[in-house]
Amino acid sequence: MKIQQIRRDKDEYIDMLLMADPQRDIIEGYLDRSEMFALINGGDVCAVCVIELLKNRKCELKNIVTRKEDRGKGYGKYMLSHICEHYGNQCDTMYAGTGNSRRALEFLGSCGFVNSHMVANYYPENYREPIYEEGVRLTDKIYLKKQLDSEVSVKKVVDLALEAGRILLKNGAEIFRVDETIIRICKRFHVEYVDTFILSHAIFISAENGMEEAYTKVKQVPLSSSHLGIVAEVNELSREISEGLVSIEEASDRLKKIDSFPEKRGYFQVLAAGISSGCYGYILGASALESTVAFFIGCILYVWVLTAKKMKLSKMIVNIVGGVLITALAIAAYHLPLPAEVALSGMIIGSIMPLVPGLAFVNAIRDIADSDFLSGTVRMIDALLVFVYIAVGVGVTLSAYNNMGGGLML
Amino acid sequence: MIHEFIMHVICPFLGTMGYAVLFNVPKRFYLSCGFTGMAGWLVYHAIVSQTFSAALASFLGTMAVVFLSRVLSVRKKCPITIFLVSGILPLVPGAGIYYTVYYLVTNQLAQASRRGMESVKVAFAIVLGIVFVLAVPGTVFQSLAVRQRRTRKG
Repeated sequence: MKIQQIRRDKDEYIDMLLMADPQRDIIEGYLDRSEMFALINGGDVCAVCVIELLKNRKCELKNIVTRKEDRGKGYGKYMLSHICEHYGNQCDTMYAGTGNSRRALEFLGSCGFVNSHMVANYYPENYREPIYEEGVRLTDKIYLKKQLDSEVSVKKVVDLALEAGRILLKNGAEIFRVDETIIRICKRFHVEYVDTFILSHAIFISAENGMEEAYTKVKQVPLSSSHLGIVAEVNELSREISEGLVSIEEASDRLKKIDSFPEKRGYFQVLAAGISSGCYGYILGASALESTVAFFIGCILYVWVLTAKKMKLSKMIVNIVGGVLITALAIAAYHLPLPAEVALSGMIIGSIMPLVPGLAFVNAIRDIADSDFLSGTVRMIDALLVFVYIAVGVGVTLSAYNNMGGGLML
Repeated sequence: MIHEFIMHVICPFLGTMGYAVLFNVPKRFYLSCGFTGMAGWLVYHAIVSQTFSAALASFLGTMAVVFLSRVLSVRKKCPITIFLVSGILPLVPGAGIYYTVYYLVTNQLAQASRRGMESVKVAFAIVLGIVFVLAVPGTVFQSLAVRQRRTRKG
């Protein structure tokens, strides 16, 4: 069971709305300027309601109706309480107007509405046909009202937006995507004035909702390994949030779940690194045998990368030792009695590939292209340094081997 | 012929997919990632084998990759990074870096600087390729993706 805002083709539900309000042109009159929600249970629309936003933080419940066969199940009440929560942070008061019908008044009363005011002789003046309810002709329109208390504070919204931003940044999203997501979430929950300042490893955010509630927070986000699956998930979530499908509690629950997404299984990553090494070796001109060796070197290399990640070693160590490992293994393979002659270059070039910092490189370029020069430079240096580390690892091993007298073949 | 096919179609495809796995790309994008990498490599290879420079080939190959990535990211509604990172990889001058180091270590400095400059040129070509296609306004790709979906339905 979920409640969804209907944005398009609102008049498809007009038959349902007519049950609560018998004159079509009056419904059509308010439908366009109002927001409409539907309660959907198992694919069927069970109840709909229409709310019109008025001035000065007020809104009016124009219509609420439950399908004939679903009445008496509490759907209307559930929906109304959800709607009140939804409008809690943009409105103070919700009004509802109805004829003098015991059923409607009881329903609204049970939802917390109290008497407000009355418009005399409303129904005979506005409706062409007389309306009878429980055998009595309706004349006056009775307005009820309910105080809505805003449950969503600026702090809650900003914390949610910041958490989403942190997860994105940590897992390798571009700066503009982090920025966009934070602002999108804040706007959706009616925190209108947001300023963000995002670096490659920190987020600063300051927000205000126009009611003297202001809030600022800084979050440090250390550079770490990236997980593009999580970026895709958070992106999807932020899309759903801005469409109004997800409440704030639901969103923070889902973020928690997304943040704890596991990486791909170790052996799968090792295998992927091997395949990647072998294939790249082959397209860059290695022989079939060299590519096979590169496959194994790539696998062993990634076992090292994963262990190093577990031990939280620095990038520098991981990549230099990685370069050394690749070269040493390739030299070892060169001396093994393999069925055909193998050249060092083919094996090494292929096995370097899993270490290449593709994500940092691409993100750096994109950040710079978006004029986020500060973060772009940091990421570019990050990427370049990884290239340098690999080169140092490979170079040191090659020259050591060269000096050991085995250098004849180099 | 079969050798050529394996070398220029299957290998870039599998290699790119493998690289995508290392970045924890969701399963449903594996094929698209592989396809992007393959397309980039095919363009690169077609141009390089026409005796054009590696930098020009990388530039055009990158443009193909970014173009495809943008179309795919609109169609699949996901961040473009997913396709871009894995697709670009076959074009990254890994071999250039290796040879630069190799010549440095073996004291052939002229060769080393030639290889090094070439790698830098290729890297700049990739940067330019990415920036150029990213500068195209997003609406173009939206309409492109929508049109594709429609023709598919029809």
